[in-house]
Amino acid sequence: MTDTVGITALIPPELVYACRHSPIDVNNIVPTSSINPRSKLCAWTAVWRDEIMEGQLDIDSLVVVAGGDCHNALVDGQKVALSGIPTHYFFYPFDRDPDYMASQLEGLAGFLGGIKDKEMFSNISGLKEKGLALDQLRVDDRARASDVFSALISFGDMQGDPAAFEEVLDSIPRTDVEYSSRVALIGVPPIYPDFHEVAESFGLHVVYDELPYEFVRLCGKDLQGLAGSYRNYSFSGPVTGRIDIIRQELDRRRVDGVIHYTQFACHHTLEDEIFRAHLDYPVLTVQGDLPRPSSEQLKLRLEAFSEMMEVMP
Amino acid sequence: MITGLDVGSTTAKIIRLDSGKLTASKVVPSHRWKELLEYGNTRNTIATAEAIGTVETPGTIQTTGTTQTMRNAQTIVSTGYFRKTVPHTAAITEITAASLGVRYYIPDAQVIVDVGGQDTKVIDLRNNTFLINDKCSAGTGAFLELAAHYFDIPVESLGKLHTRAKRTARINNTCGVFAISEMISQLVGGYTMEEVICGIHQAFARRIAQMIPPVETVVLIGGTVLNTGIVESFESIHGSTVVLPPSPQTVNALGAALYGEKLRPGQ
Ligand code: SF4
Repeated sequence: MTDTVGITALIPPELVYACRHSPIDVNNIVPTSSINPRSKLCAWTAVWRDEIMEGQLDIDSLVVVAGGDCHNALVDGQKVALSGIPTHYFFYPFDRDPDYMASQLEGLAGFLGGIKDKEMFSNISGLKEKGLALDQLRVDDRARASDVFSALISFGDMQGDPAAFEEVLDSIPRTDVEYSSRVALIGVPPIYPDFHEVAESFGLHVVYDELPYEFVRLCGKDLQGLAGSYRNYSFSGPVTGRIDIIRQELDRRRVDGVIHYTQFACHHTLEDEIFRAHLDYPVLTVQGDLPRPSSEQLKLRLEAFSEMMEVMP
Repeated sequence: MITGLDVGSTTAKIIRLDSGKLTASKVVPSHRWKELLEYGNTRNTIATAEAIGTVETPGTIQTTGTTQTMRNAQTIVSTGYFRKTVPHTAAITEITAASLGVRYYIPDAQVIVDVGGQDTKVIDLRNNTFLINDKCSAGTGAFLELAAHYFDIPVESLGKLHTRAKRTARINNTCGVFAISEMISQLVGGYTMEEVICGIHQAFARRIAQMIPPVETVVLIGGTVLNTGIVESFESIHGSTVVLPPSPQTVNALGAALYGEKLRPGQ
């Protein structure tokens, strides 16, 4: 029987499908959620926690990505576990150790009842190639960043149905994009559901979404292959590794400026200074808290950033 | 003729540039911003108050339902919080306006601090980045308004009273609400109003200094910096050289007008 497996951050969705279950990235419901969480630090974890515990998000089990990612998720995940939902804790190796990564993937496969459909590995690998091609389209100004972002962010769970998701990918319109500046969006994804549209309205073409790019970049055709790839999940390791990838992508995608999104009460906010010191581009830092349409304050910052890149020498 | 119109949360300012020369400027409270257009009008420069609307296309003023070309086609560039509500040919943010305006007076300016009525902006021209504090009143004009209101004195008098202080009452809180209770306990403890005001200015300057990157020279702008107590406190706390442009309150309106010059060279 196929179970719906909630996942709190990136784990290989191909492994969940290979175990004949259907993943759902619990974050994807957060930006449009109307829940006001009871007690919170980061709204991402607090909202999915309450959505699950109040029965508004129906899952059979939960995989909490804890080690190497988020300790707020670890605590809120345990609250979900205490409410009676079977919960597994997944840890990335900070030192990128492939054996540790493989053992974590084996443990995850065990929690999910074992691998039953190995073909899913290559099916999903094919989908990720499509994802990379889509990503390149917006780099080449032939697709809107808002469309590409919503597709890439869905690679965490393939919307629970890879075949239907492939049709979604194929339906993304190809269109010539006009803009005044090319920007990269680094950090965790914005909690504002309309962020990319708002950026577009100020002439900002987002040509790089750091986290969603990880979703399509990492891949593998068997458990060892997954371990070799996912151990390099940039967010789970040293920040220097992230900087290397970001720099390479900023260069390749010819960006004019960088937007660093930070989430209230998220430890990644502390990385802002590091990025500012190590990235030789204009950097705009913005912060969100609860999921809401983009605020006037955010709009002012995006508008000003766009103007500064255009007007100031 | 180019007009820069800056309508912020507290005051509205106008600047006129005629063939690149600054020919007029005026400041009024924000709610009276329409007077600025009339002021311009008496000088045969700006759209009449009846024609107030949005200028969508350069050279045309759009009023409700009709689009009319002005006889003396004006370029009005607006900025400030209400930039999109007032008539404009183009609207730019205060950040860009401040950058252009300050560069006019101080071409090698590095960091600008614009202390507004409701927010404070720090603009680093060395790498075109900026920070805005608009989450709380700490380090904004609203904080000083609150203190002035408590003493029942005009906010403009704070600078003068500061100079009469013989010592400084330490105020630690920059949150307006908590600062008031701290002010009261310092007054009860024997400090004079002037000494408490001095302490308020120091707290204010400390809050702003936290937002500023290490730099040799800081340009202060905004109506609040007409308060010499703020400037003095800031200089002593931040340790950088402070520079004020000739008219720190209208520099954003000037920046808006300069942007208009880019749009309409030679006007
Ligand atoms: S935004 Fe930060 S704190 Fe929130 S879930 Fe993501 S990593 Fe955790």
